[in-house]
Amino acid sequence: MSNAMLNTPEKILPPVLQLVDVHRQFDDFTAVSGITLDIREGEFLTIVGPSGSGKTTMLKMLAGMDAPSSGNITLRGELINHLPARQRPTALVFQSLALFPHKSVGENIEFPLKVRKMPAAQRKERALELLRMLRLPEHYYSKNVMQCSGGERQRVALARAFAYDPDVLLFDEPLSALDYKLKKVLEKELKDLHRSTGKTFIYITHSLEEAMVMSDRIAVMRGGRIVQVGTPETIYAKPADDFVAEFFGEVNKFAVSFSHAGGWYSAETGQIFQFELPEHLASATQALVVVRPEYMHLVEPGQHYDNQLTGTVFNEYSLGSRIQFQVRCGSCSVLVEVPRTWAGQLRAGATVSIGFNIADALVAGA
Amino acid sequence: MYDQAQRRNHFFIRCWVTFVLLLIYLPITCSALASLSKSRYFMFPVRQYSFEWWEKTLASMEIKTLLGNSLAIATLVTLIAVVLAFFGALAFARYDWKGRKLYQKLLLLPIFFPQAVLGLALLLWLNALGLMPSWKTAVFAHLVWIVPVVTLVIAIKVYSYDATLEDAAADLGANRWQIFREVTLPLLWPGIWSGALFAFLLSWGNFPLSLYTAGADSTVPKWLYSKMVAGYTPMVPALGTMSTLGAIVVLALVGLLVLSLRRLRQAN
Amino acid sequence: MPLSPLKLSAGVRCASPVLLFLLLGFAAPLLMVVGYAFAEPKSFEVFSSFSLSNFSAALDPAGTLWMSFAWSISLALLATVLLALIAYPIAYALSHLFGKWSSLVSILFVFPLFISENVRLYGWVQFLVKGGVLDGLLKMLGMEGTPALLYSPEITLLGMVYVYLPFMLFPMTLGLSMVPRDLIAAAADLGASRLMIWREVELPLAMPGILIGLLLTFVLSVGTVAEAKILGGQSVITVVHDIEIAFTYAQNWPLGAALALILVLIIGSLTLWALSKIDLDRMLGGR
Repeated sequence: MSNAMLNTPEKILPPVLQLVDVHRQFDDFTAVSGITLDIREGEFLTIVGPSGSGKTTMLKMLAGMDAPSSGNITLRGELINHLPARQRPTALVFQSLALFPHKSVGENIEFPLKVRKMPAAQRKERALELLRMLRLPEHYYSKNVMQCSGGERQRVALARAFAYDPDVLLFDEPLSALDYKLKKVLEKELKDLHRSTGKTFIYITHSLEEAMVMSDRIAVMRGGRIVQVGTPETIYAKPADDFVAEFFGEVNKFAVSFSHAGGWYSAETGQIFQFELPEHLASATQALVVVRPEYMHLVEPGQHYDNQLTGTVFNEYSLGSRIQFQVRCGSCSVLVEVPRTWAGQLRAGATVSIGFNIADALVAGA
Repeated sequence: MYDQAQRRNHFFIRCWVTFVLLLIYLPITCSALASLSKSRYFMFPVRQYSFEWWEKTLASMEIKTLLGNSLAIATLVTLIAVVLAFFGALAFARYDWKGRKLYQKLLLLPIFFPQAVLGLALLLWLNALGLMPSWKTAVFAHLVWIVPVVTLVIAIKVYSYDATLEDAAADLGANRWQIFREVTLPLLWPGIWSGALFAFLLSWGNFPLSLYTAGADSTVPKWLYSKMVAGYTPMVPALGTMSTLGAIVVLALVGLLVLSLRRLRQAN
Repeated sequence: MPLSPLKLSAGVRCASPVLLFLLLGFAAPLLMVVGYAFAEPKSFEVFSSFSLSNFSAALDPAGTLWMSFAWSISLALLATVLLALIAYPIAYALSHLFGKWSSLVSILFVFPLFISENVRLYGWVQFLVKGGVLDGLLKMLGMEGTPALLYSPEITLLGMVYVYLPFMLFPMTLGLSMVPRDLIAAAADLGASRLMIWREVELPLAMPGILIGLLLTFVLSVGTVAEAKILGGQSVITVVHDIEIAFTYAQNWPLGAALALILVLIIGSLTLWALSKIDLDRMLGGR
């Protein structure tokens, strides 16, 4: 149904960073294995995955705070496995921001310039320029950094990272500690910053929302490996397996087994599903059918779907922009989503007919 | 939130704390009274108050030598202790290394040790090395006990030190020396100050170690003790009280310095 | 950070100066003590003679040296128990009651450590002696005057309790501060009585600190001598006093060393046992 790596039809820029078969082994466990990835110049790549999937280890190896046990990391063709962080043209924005609490906003921003021995007057000019770029008032220059709000500190950390014009910016879950509204604002600003500066952004998060909103491409990691790389749309619509599908939103999963009477029998729902097996599952007798709630439709009169089920509505949730129904089919609970503008009415206990098209579903190995 | 019983208990606890504090400062007050009595021998109630013995103390050459010795020892101890302890504290709390747990326990041993026995043991050692005990060997002796204490004091601050700040500095391009100068040292400076204060005051008031390792050189505590045993004069409580007042002044000055620096930074 | 395998780790490099210093200043002197302890009595032939007579003299039931051990250990135990009771409410107050004043109150308790203990103990003499403050006060109130309190074992104990209070108090406070407040609230909410909360929640969680306080107090009191000399007169001879006599008047360094070695062994084994039960990182660093 889909490959692990899909190339988009847009213009492909040469890779700025390349990882080839990178492993990172610690004494008692393997953090990362078999990572091969091209990171393109100027793209916004997000690495997502659950905790422990190896994302932070990856980031540390790119930043120079850790080195791979085997494999190669190259920057524009040059091998950088053991190049220390201070010599790499990368800047890392830490999860805790790592702002120097004993220095002012200006001193924090100027730090990378100071260690590069830029004269004081020039440093100040650049710092003020960065304050403007990050939309912080100029008088914050001498303000103590710990007296700024959470969002302001984020901007100071960004300004500091941009100060010495690095080629690659690395972000370690920078927005995870912020409240929802602030997060949304900063997501848009980060995206704008990416567009206006043209730098390569490598962003780590466990939040799929952030990934979807900001990225050019997403790499999904699990258990130390990359499971899928692609644009947000591709990953959402054509997930490589049920793990990826589930990671990016709620799904309905039906375990089915091949029925000699024809089709695939779902024991939970008591229904028979009809579909063609994808190539890589050609000889399977069991499979998983994964359907997103928004592709599970209420069958209106005159409509017809590849597969249909009957069930009883037992719960309704308002999710803001859409409404979700829980429908009991057999012994399992199926999620059905309709937009808020849906004109119909459904009471608890009502019998409904729901259906989906195979083209909107993912068939994965059991 | 608090109920009756709890509030009553808390009241009793507060009374207890006050009572104990009063008892703690009782002998110190008695000492001060004894120093203000005009007569040579202490009788209470004091018949005549006078600063006579204080003047005699301040004028005494012998006492000036003592003060000089104690000051020299304490200053040297402070300087050396702070340097050794700073790195010792980093090894204690910041870096993860193979022998760290053992190191932590070994470091504490000189603290859980009777100082008089340590002094005598050092005397044996100095004797074996052929060194004459003097105020310099006293410095060495003080350090054996004080360095672990100061290491602990600084280590407590190091625990709350955020090591990722050093990583960030490295990522931004700083080399080791720049990281040390711009990040590590400034952030640990308050801990170093506390350590220095402890080192100075503990060395200043130390008796058991000085007794055995200072040789002929006398320090304030040594002199006080010898006069307590034989040849008591009110100069003893006078010097004792002056020493106490000196410690208060030092603490107060450092405290004010810290407070004013904090206020300066907040105003910025 | 990427490690280059040839260099020593940063931790080892930082620890070396201190370790080297302690090797020269602590381990070496102790070695000398061991050497002298096994040397020929009354001689200075350290490491060149071997004899166990020092130990037999020390532990000889017919002699008086074992009594010093008994006095020192008993007084130390009493002092430790008394201080545990005295200091616990104060430690509780410092960690739970005083809030932002607790730093100031802590300074008040720590401050006496910076005054030489001889000065403090002599202050007690001036309070308790005939003609002293207590005597004068009582006479002023029309009473007879103070009884002969000084120069007794009881007063020595008082002196020990007085001097070693901070050493019990601060580790205890540290231990109590390790008990998260919401655990107590949760236990109360689940219906536990105050006593139960103390026994089941506070005490076990504060135990590392309490243990260090008990250990430190005992170890320091068993090796103390100033209180017995200044307040106790001739009524109590502690082990360390005997050690001092052996090293000075009696000119019997081997005997002194043997006594010291026994003392060090008692203290050392207790210390290492207690420290092995404690995670110092959690206690001091809260992690």
